Amino acid sequence: MSQPAQAPRPGPQSPSPDSARARDLLARKWTYLLGAVTATALTKDDLERELRARLDELCAVLAADPFDAAAVERIGEAVVATGYAGEDGLRRTVEVLGRGLPALPEFRQAPAHRMALAIGALATGFLTANRRAVFEQQERLQLSLLKSVRDAKWNLKESEARFDEVVTSSTNGVLIADLDGRLVRANGAIGEILGRTTAELTGANLFDLVHPDTVGMLREAMLAAAEGARDRVRQSQRLLRADGDVARISLTASLVGGEDGASRHFVVVVEDGTELVLLQSELNRQALHDVLTGLPNRQFFSTHLESALRRADPAHGVTLLHLDLDAFAMVCDSRGRRAGERLLTHVAQRLKSVLARERAMVARLDGDEFGILIENTAATPDIATLAAAINRELAEPLYVDGHGLALPASIGVVRGGRDDDPAELLRAADQALRRAGTGRRGQWEVFDPHRDIADRATRELAVGMPGAWERGEITVRYRPVVGLGDGGVAGVEAVLHWERPDAPIAHEQCVELAEQTGLILPLGEWLLATAGRQVHWWRQRNGFASPLTVALTAHQARDADLVPRVVRALQSAGLPASRLVVGIPTRAATVPEVADNLGVLAELGARTALDDFALGPDDFAAGRALGVHVIRVAGRWVDLRADAGHADALTAALRDTGAVVAVSGVTTADQAAWWRRAGADLATGAYFGPDAPAPDVPVRS
Amino acid sequence: MMTFSIEGVFAVVQSEWIPRSVDISVPSMARTYDYLLGGAHNFAVDRELAAQVERIMPDARSAARVNRAFLGRAVRHMIGQGVTQFLDIGSGIPTVANVHEVAQAVDPECRVVYVDKDPIAVAHSELMLAADDRAAVVHADMREPRAILDHPETRRLLDFDQPIGLLVLMMLHWVPDEADPWALMATYRDALAPGSHLAITHVTADHQDESLTDVTDLIKDSRSADQLTERPHDRVLALFGDFELIEPGLVGCAAWRPGGPGDISDTPEMNMVIYGGVARKP
Repeated sequence: MSQPAQAPRPGPQSPSPDSARARDLLARKWTYLLGAVTATALTKDDLERELRARLDELCAVLAADPFDAAAVERIGEAVVATGYAGEDGLRRTVEVLGRGLPALPEFRQAPAHRMALAIGALATGFLTANRRAVFEQQERLQLSLLKSVRDAKWNLKESEARFDEVVTSSTNGVLIADLDGRLVRANGAIGEILGRTTAELTGANLFDLVHPDTVGMLREAMLAAAEGARDRVRQSQRLLRADGDVARISLTASLVGGEDGASRHFVVVVEDGTELVLLQSELNRQALHDVLTGLPNRQFFSTHLESALRRADPAHGVTLLHLDLDAFAMVCDSRGRRAGERLLTHVAQRLKSVLARERAMVARLDGDEFGILIENTAATPDIATLAAAINRELAEPLYVDGHGLALPASIGVVRGGRDDDPAELLRAADQALRRAGTGRRGQWEVFDPHRDIADRATRELAVGMPGAWERGEITVRYRPVVGLGDGGVAGVEAVLHWERPDAPIAHEQCVELAEQTGLILPLGEWLLATAGRQVHWWRQRNGFASPLTVALTAHQARDADLVPRVVRALQSAGLPASRLVVGIPTRAATVPEVADNLGVLAELGARTALDDFALGPDDFAAGRALGVHVIRVAGRWVDLRADAGHADALTAALRDTGAVVAVSGVTTADQAAWWRRAGADLATGAYFGPDAPAPDVPVRS
Repeated sequence: MMTFSIEGVFAVVQSEWIPRSVDISVPSMARTYDYLLGGAHNFAVDRELAAQVERIMPDARSAARVNRAFLGRAVRHMIGQGVTQFLDIGSGIPTVANVHEVAQAVDPECRVVYVDKDPIAVAHSELMLAADDRAAVVHADMREPRAILDHPETRRLLDFDQPIGLLVLMMLHWVPDEADPWALMATYRDALAPGSHLAITHVTADHQDESLTDVTDLIKDSRSADQLTERPHDRVLALFGDFELIEPGLVGCAAWRPGGPGDISDTPEMNMVIYGGVARKP
């Protein structure tokens, strides 16, 4: 083997000596394997020359753009023409080329799907040619039979029975029909193809057995034959089976009969192509479909998207949906992988049923992600209707191992047209999905290019964050927690600050960014440890004894390692747990892991808080359920006084919780005064000064 | 392509004429052989027999292929010795890689006469050879040498003053001892000019266990008109009479001057189940 790294790679158009040698070897191997299962008139050397030439053609097609599947199919046909190659020949050809082609120097970098397409097309050509050969041989055999009948001129009384015996032994269906299509006789094979008895068929009309879409074509051709315009009719046809299925067959109708015209009949030979068609489609299917759900896979979906975009209706375009099952991982965790797989299969079927009326492809892209491509027409429902229909369907419980499971999906939606780039469209749908997924479950979100630009900027920031932390650009600042009664500093809240040259980033955005990437877990621990040391030092220095408040994100609050992290940070700082107020987002309070974490921290002696408290019934319920020490009202409710109707009732409810009430986001003296009167104990906000570096914090004992 | 018209045939069928010889409720060896080679010139009864043979001899297909490959090598060898006319007795269904295909690929002037007693095989050959005026088929039984040697088609195409390649492949084991195949072969040999060649392949049990006996029984039970008589090496050798066997003699037909992977079976017994040899008339 040559080392591709050492020599410049030759272009596919100009096979290097290396490449020619590799092709020689591959052709020899192919000859060896194919020759050993093929009955052929060719000598080994002739066969090798033949296959070497076919290999060159195949390589030329593989190197050319666009991919010419028809040319590869012709190559497959040419291989079959060397002799009786058969299934073994196909198997060996696929094996040797499937391994050998991608290993040729010029194709080592070639995309795998192209190889798959080429092998598929080769197999298709192979099958097509084999099928034709079988058909011709069987037809010739039928004719030989009939001819030998004529040649021998034996008179037998039981000719009807004997004739039936002749055609019955054939795997081909044989029908004899008069010029109007009325069936005079039918053999057992055609009965099997159609799922009807020969008695049922006799007297029936041929044209009633043909699919309505294609019967016209047959009728015309047979009329032309009856009028002498052609000798024989040969068509691929669809026949109607008794069970309602369609049998795909090849049909040959020959006009026979004497000069008088009265006895003229059609002999119709029917070859059941269903199995071949199935086999052919099975080969394509395996390469392009997901094994579990039977849906098209990502590769097929992308290819389909390309062609759908090319032919998209200029007025309506296409709609691309990217779905993600919201709680799939949870199902797998709790019920096992097999239950998950069953669920995916169900979901696949339901999605197909929802889209049954559209010209749509449902594909499984990855794990629990599905893609849907709709080629819109004037009748296609709008996105909201579609998304609602999908979630309605998925909201119906699916019964897996006796457990009813309902999995809403988050859906990213993007519209596309002829000018769109398929890859970009897929990315946009994925992007919209990510945003839909950050909201509540079962949401959908249309791709918004303006949002996208903002999102991209955000993503850039998020991915740059670990580096910034490393370089010391991210520091801890302290936000005073003020007692509303005396206006004194009753504690500090540790917050993040990212010093960037153009625009520093404040705590809230830092947290949001770090939450997206998961950086929040180590960063949060560091924040707690750093602030803990600072508070401990303040205590040593001037007896500062007020508590340190740290607000956790949803991700942190759920973290299975939260307790060890907090314990570690407190130990490293030498700070007792009783000095710590740990806040969790109120909306995360119902998650069992969060409640567990909070319970353990409370047992260790830490004080607990509900952050971002929104004064809704769920919030109050969470407060009661968890029995937290502190309730911190969200900054957006700081102007509660404006809500004349409910302010009194809500503040009364707050006081009734029995928790210390704190209010965030206070920016004016009026707000501070109102909340003091309303019974709040503590406050934070810009009114009490900016988030400050440690040296600037006005702490005192 | 087919040049044959079905019209007249159908008239016969409709007028209730049918030959007893066309009994396709029993398998034909020719069609079974075609099936084993991978062809579709066969009926369900033939495929059923083939399936039973394959149950006993799992790689029977390769034995068929190896014999077919021997045919090609034997014909090419004869052409190399200056033979341009061939008599193929027991040609069966003119399936892939038949004599005229191989011979005319080397020398388009080659002439071929096929002989078979199976009316379907003959009808098929006629259809296939309709466009080839250098090849013909004779409907006859090899047990009647004069009917073959004196047939007008044989005389039209073959010049008995010149060397002829006589091929009797996969044929003589269908001729029982009672019919004296050695005497039959002597008649054929005598009719040939010096420089003529004779190729024979013949099934043997010399290297087999019971499986071949089982196949023999199977064919007997199938009610086929053809019954298998395997023979040991010396009995097959005697069929060549005083002709001089060329190297490597009478051997497993895969071992007769193999030229490539298609000439040999992966299953060693299948290389030895058929004896093959080529001999020259001095």
